[in-house]
Amino acid sequence: MKKLLTFLMIICLSLPAYAQAADLILAQAANFMPAMKEIIPAFEKETGLRVQATYTSTGKLYGQIISGAPFDIFLAADSRRPEKLFNGHLSFKPVTYAKGSVVLWTTNATFCDKTWKNVIQSPAAKHIAIANTETAPYGSVAKTALTNEKLWQSIQPKLAIGQSISQVFQYVATGAADAGFCAYSYMFTPQGKKGCFLQVEEAPKVIQKACILKNTPHKEAAEQFITFLNSPTVTAIKHKYGYE
Amino acid sequence: MTLEPLLLSAKLAFCTMVLIPLLAFPPAYFLAFGKCRGKSILDALITLPMVIPPTVLGFGLLVIMTPTGAVGSTWQSLTGDRLIFSFTGILFASLVFNLPFAVQPLRASFEKLDKRLLESAAVLGLSPFQTFYRVVLPNCVSGIVASSILVFAHSLGEFGVILMVGGSIPGKTQVASIAIFEAVEALRYEDALYMSAALVPVCFVFLLIINTVNGRQRS
Repeated sequence: MKKLLTFLMIICLSLPAYAQAADLILAQAANFMPAMKEIIPAFEKETGLRVQATYTSTGKLYGQIISGAPFDIFLAADSRRPEKLFNGHLSFKPVTYAKGSVVLWTTNATFCDKTWKNVIQSPAAKHIAIANTETAPYGSVAKTALTNEKLWQSIQPKLAIGQSISQVFQYVATGAADAGFCAYSYMFTPQGKKGCFLQVEEAPKVIQKACILKNTPHKEAAEQFITFLNSPTVTAIKHKYGYE
Repeated sequence: MTLEPLLLSAKLAFCTMVLIPLLAFPPAYFLAFGKCRGKSILDALITLPMVIPPTVLGFGLLVIMTPTGAVGSTWQSLTGDRLIFSFTGILFASLVFNLPFAVQPLRASFEKLDKRLLESAAVLGLSPFQTFYRVVLPNCVSGIVASSILVFAHSLGEFGVILMVGGSIPGKTQVASIAIFEAVEALRYEDALYMSAALVPVCFVFLLIINTVNGRQRS
């Protein structure tokens, strides 16, 4: 019994140590996940460094960082949150690493040859999913487009709000919503290819900025990673997922 | 900050509490008095929503509640309305995940009932329905109250499942827990604080009532 307890204790104590055995920990906004999953292995191959990433909404990551979470680089889905960290002396100067766009995604084939404005006003579209316009950058730019086109008020009864861009994707994928404002990058995933997407040209581009956090113990590796984000390898991956 | 999410939470909790006896009484009665083999299977099935992660339950509910899903399409053909992203939708979800919380206390109080009372009722010629209505119910009041209050308190604080199926629509599905989550995410900490400050004492009072009822039952 004593041996068993000792054994279990050793396992418990060694697990967190194993989990932190990375040279670089990224706080990555969820929309960029498909691309980042290809960038990380490429970087590891080139440098031999081990990289781990946490993928969730920009707002949640920002909250974790200001509470002292041990990340090295923050890769946000907007420019507002990295600038806020920089102004609060919590990070070094933010740099733009990607420009994303928002599309209207639907799994209803009858919507595929229409414009996004026709689709959302169509009586057949009963529920339109949008990401939280306050916290999710792709939700904010969708709102800007709707407001500029004077559709924001009239579409209110149809809106279902997802907490992140991936929840919007989930609402459309399951058929709960008839269409949703998603990140263009999601259209390149196997699930995304099952529907069709309509460009929302009226929406501004989402400028995604990254910054190295001030209390990182791995500043050199972090700088290496930021430089790598501008390499031809990464540019090709970004284009593959629809980022500029 | 508005009071709407808090009122909506109260409405959801109240509706769940009123409707859940219809769903909970038959299985609780069967689990307490039934004598067939399927009992442990039914027991496990009903307790399932308590054990599986809310995200799993929520995703499962989302899939069956869509206009093409089993429950969603039936509802739409009956009423013409969509179930998903509506108040009725989150009420349905709330009934499902509250079922074990309603059944367990009811079952316990049914099991504590003196079997001789039921036998006497049968001998005196009461039908099973009359026995339930005139003997079982009056003798299990405290169990029913405990079960109702537990359900009320639990649905007041439910978060994960409603996050998955609700769509956070103000006035329809944006309950207090969701509104608090969104306020924290948007760094509106003061709003989150006020709403939480209103929610905690309410939950506390309801738990006090449960404890008092249970205490009385014991003495």
